[in-house]
Amino acid sequence: MHIPDAFVPLWQSAIYWIIALIFIALALRWAKNELSEDKIPLIAVLAAGIFAIQAFNLPVAMGTSGHLVGGALAAIVLGSPYAAVFILTLVLIIQGIIFGDGGLTTMGVNILNMGVIGGFVGYYGYSALKSAGASMYLSAGIAAWCACFISSLAAAVEMAFAGTFPLVPGLIAMGTYHAAIGIIEGIITAAIIYFLVASRPDLLAEGATDPSGGGAAA
Amino acid sequence: MIDNKTFMIAGLIIAIIVGGLAVFLASGDPDGLESTALYVQGEKELTGPSPEDGDPEAIGGGTFEYEAPLPDYSTGEEGGKTGEILAVFVGILVMFVLGFGATKLLASKKTS
Repeated sequence: MHIPDAFVPLWQSAIYWIIALIFIALALRWAKNELSEDKIPLIAVLAAGIFAIQAFNLPVAMGTSGHLVGGALAAIVLGSPYAAVFILTLVLIIQGIIFGDGGLTTMGVNILNMGVIGGFVGYYGYSALKSAGASMYLSAGIAAWCACFISSLAAAVEMAFAGTFPLVPGLIAMGTYHAAIGIIEGIITAAIIYFLVASRPDLLAEGATDPSGGGAAA
Repeated sequence: MIDNKTFMIAGLIIAIIVGGLAVFLASGDPDGLESTALYVQGEKELTGPSPEDGDPEAIGGGTFEYEAPLPDYSTGEEGGKTGEILAVFVGILVMFVLGFGATKLLASKKTS
């Protein structure tokens, strides 16, 4: 759901950039306070891996394709929604500047949708589901689906403000396609967490690896 | 459990395999946002196939243009699949170095 430059008027892009910059500042503060050097391998691999898998568009029927976004994944394994803002911002900067995927003026709104909304929905969705007794993989899968779906509805509303898509058809189409794309998000997120737990459980946020519940908070 | 070096090398190799496969196997269909753009322009039914020559970005206002050095994960038309593989590999390595460097810079000497 990388929004290109042409889809948002410049003054609205500026507003989204300001909101994004506030969350980037909070994410940098989180990184400074909470991130230890032990996490370097995990973040380097997540940044490279999320970039690679975002290039892999899988067919989801309805003449549409989709790929993992990775905000929920980053937030769950690092135990904070700001981890998603941090990693997705890095990914979106490189995608926008080097590969022209997602605009430069619209990088702010893309960071807002995929990093901020994706990260917060993914993290708090995961925590809530786990507290309610769901298994960690099911919680991660459903939270990742919600992150994809809700981000897409946010994008539809932004497109309506921009005058690019009409509101209701935009919500229906974005919601329909991302309900399908979210299945990819859910399955791959759960699968990657499974492999991380199998290979390096110590790198994950405390509580993220506790299958008996208790939330993702460290 | 594997050590940090093995974890990072394994992670990079998996990312490179995924990126390499993406060049050959990724779907050419538009993504959800582009499909929505085609749908609201009346070029596509909601659940129908996407037109081969559809232009999702035609609906945009076009206020700003930027030419990326490796547009659409390629080195341009003449670069072909080799150019696309090169572009994806460059991206993966840049992301790895950036993720490593940014975290190193911010985390400084803290250990948990």
